[in-house]
Amino acid sequence: MKILLIEDDREAASYLIQALDEAGHVTHHASDGETGFAMASGMEYDVLIVDRMLPRRDGLSIVESLRAEDNRTPVLILSALGEVDDRVTGLRAGGDDYLAKPYAFTELLARIEVLARRSSPGEAATSYQVGDLNLDRLSRKVERAGEAILLQPREFRLLEYLMKHAGQVVTRTMLLENVWDYHFDPQTNVIDVHMSRLRSKIDKGHATPLLHTIRGAGYMIRD
Amino acid sequence: MTSIGRIWRTSTVRLTALFILIFVVFSIALLAYMAWQSSLAIQRQQTASIQRETAILMRVNDQQGIRALIYSVQRLSARPGPGIYYLGDQLGQMLAGNVSDMPAHALQQSGYSSFSYTRPGALDSNGSEENTEGFALVQTTFLNNGLRLVVGRDIIERRGYSAIIFGGFLFGVGGIIVLSAIAGGLTAMRVLRRIDTITATSTKIMSGNLSERVPVTPRDDEFDRLATSLNAMLDRIEQLMKGLKEVTDNVAHDLKTPLTRMRNKAEAALRDESAHESQRTALEATIAESDQLIRTFNALLMIARAEAGAPSGAFSDLDLSAAVADVAELYGPVAEDAGMAIEADAGEGIRISAIRELIGQALVNLVENAIKYAQRSASGPGRITLKVREETGRVLIEVADNGPGIPEDERARVVERFVRLEKSRTEPGSGLGLSLVAAVAHLHRGTFRLEDNHPGVRAIIDLPRSI
Repeated sequence: MKILLIEDDREAASYLIQALDEAGHVTHHASDGETGFAMASGMEYDVLIVDRMLPRRDGLSIVESLRAEDNRTPVLILSALGEVDDRVTGLRAGGDDYLAKPYAFTELLARIEVLARRSSPGEAATSYQVGDLNLDRLSRKVERAGEAILLQPREFRLLEYLMKHAGQVVTRTMLLENVWDYHFDPQTNVIDVHMSRLRSKIDKGHATPLLHTIRGAGYMIRD
Repeated sequence: MTSIGRIWRTSTVRLTALFILIFVVFSIALLAYMAWQSSLAIQRQQTASIQRETAILMRVNDQQGIRALIYSVQRLSARPGPGIYYLGDQLGQMLAGNVSDMPAHALQQSGYSSFSYTRPGALDSNGSEENTEGFALVQTTFLNNGLRLVVGRDIIERRGYSAIIFGGFLFGVGGIIVLSAIAGGLTAMRVLRRIDTITATSTKIMSGNLSERVPVTPRDDEFDRLATSLNAMLDRIEQLMKGLKEVTDNVAHDLKTPLTRMRNKAEAALRDESAHESQRTALEATIAESDQLIRTFNALLMIARAEAGAPSGAFSDLDLSAAVADVAELYGPVAEDAGMAIEADAGEGIRISAIRELIGQALVNLVENAIKYAQRSASGPGRITLKVREETGRVLIEVADNGPGIPEDERARVVERFVRLEKSRTEPGSGLGLSLVAAVAHLHRGTFRLEDNHPGVRAIIDLPRSI
């Protein structure tokens, strides 16, 4: 993936560039808003990572201008602010996802990988297939090796989200945001409990597990 | 009608009414005194002139004889005015004068008396005489030749004078009452209008628009002085709020950045495959600790934000029933794993204007607390009940458990920041959960309280129906 990072904190930026490089991504870096906007509108990127507070030009205004130019590159907004409606203003400006500092790198990586995939075609699939597990979005039926699996509505949505991003790491926060539409941090391991229930319905009695726990990051479904 | 009621309730109108009352009472007293005193003065004056004329006529009688007396009385009688004259003999025969029907009692004894009589008036345009009713105060004198001399004054005119005073009084007082009522009403309306602008401004400010100011007119009256000092106070408050926001923003930025770096470095070190298992454990613990620090920090910031108020645009229509049912569903499996049950009785489609994120966070905090404490229940299996109830004008969200409960004298204290009861010190947590719930309730113009659930705790978020 080709990523543009617009971030004024040099140390955070160099760490991020190195970590993204280790994860196999090419990252360009701009340390102020004007340069960042010029680079973003002049070159093709898979994902933009934009800090909200930047010298010379505010992060939100960069996103707004890009969207006004009909630039559809996915944008992840980073912010150290804790404002109640920060997320809303960030997304309203045209951002695709929002991450509050400080964040775990695994969280950021999982999110930009999902974002980059989102912009590629094949979005409107009516069914998902992972190994011998099949999920039909229209009839809302789930089968594994031809055997029907009964799921609660929320479990169905959980599995649907995981299968939509099959082969990608999804974090607990991403699941909480996308399946429950909650944007906060629970103290307890509430997602893990739901995942272990889902896992017992999907993987129990099958030789190859599909649902994997990625240590320190989240979950992934793959064959 | 209500606006008249509103005007009546203003202090200006009440003061005006009080002043009118005082003024009327004082005017009545003053005018009564004036009428009384002037009546006395006129009476004294009239008595004096009666005595003077009687004396003159007696001297005429003594020195010049009856003929001159009759002539004098006739001449005096012919003069227009309030004078009353009568000269008659012992048999009641009138010799001269202008009152023919002199009552007997006035003639039978000397001294003062008074009576009503018919007074022959001036010739009118038709040539007939216009008689007027009169009331006289007279002095009867027995002359040494046996004649009766009566000299008096018509006092109807004195009464007329009183009537003039009384009429003037009525006109004056009536006019003053009407005019001051109008003036008072107008002043009250003006005052009310000024006060209303101040009220409107403070309502807007309370709903989160801190940049509103009370309008100041160029009249520079007492309201403008009040408005100016209110505005100065608002400037100061806005400045302080802005300062607080800046401080929290800066603290957020300046403390979160090094925290991010610390976490990043630990993560980077963890990615190094050559690390020892013990080192990895230490690094993972470092990350977990920093996450807990971040969480505490975020909770503090969130409380500060909620306490500072939110722009009205942040509120949206929220299906509270669905939100509560969602939380119950999210935590159902967690409770089940801990050997408890969550029951939700969230009603159907109860809606409020709210910030969804914050209501959700508050609910989650309460449910997590309940899960933490209900499982230590001695009274059978843990049970958590979520309820949404509607009362007139209010919506109540209840989260109840059957755990050990909180002693009554400590219920208020646990809502304070970082307060944790002795027995819960061993549990994980920051001591900010309930503070956040209270701040969220206040942000939504509601209250938060803890009640006894016999056994256990019932946490109640009490919100107004419409915000």
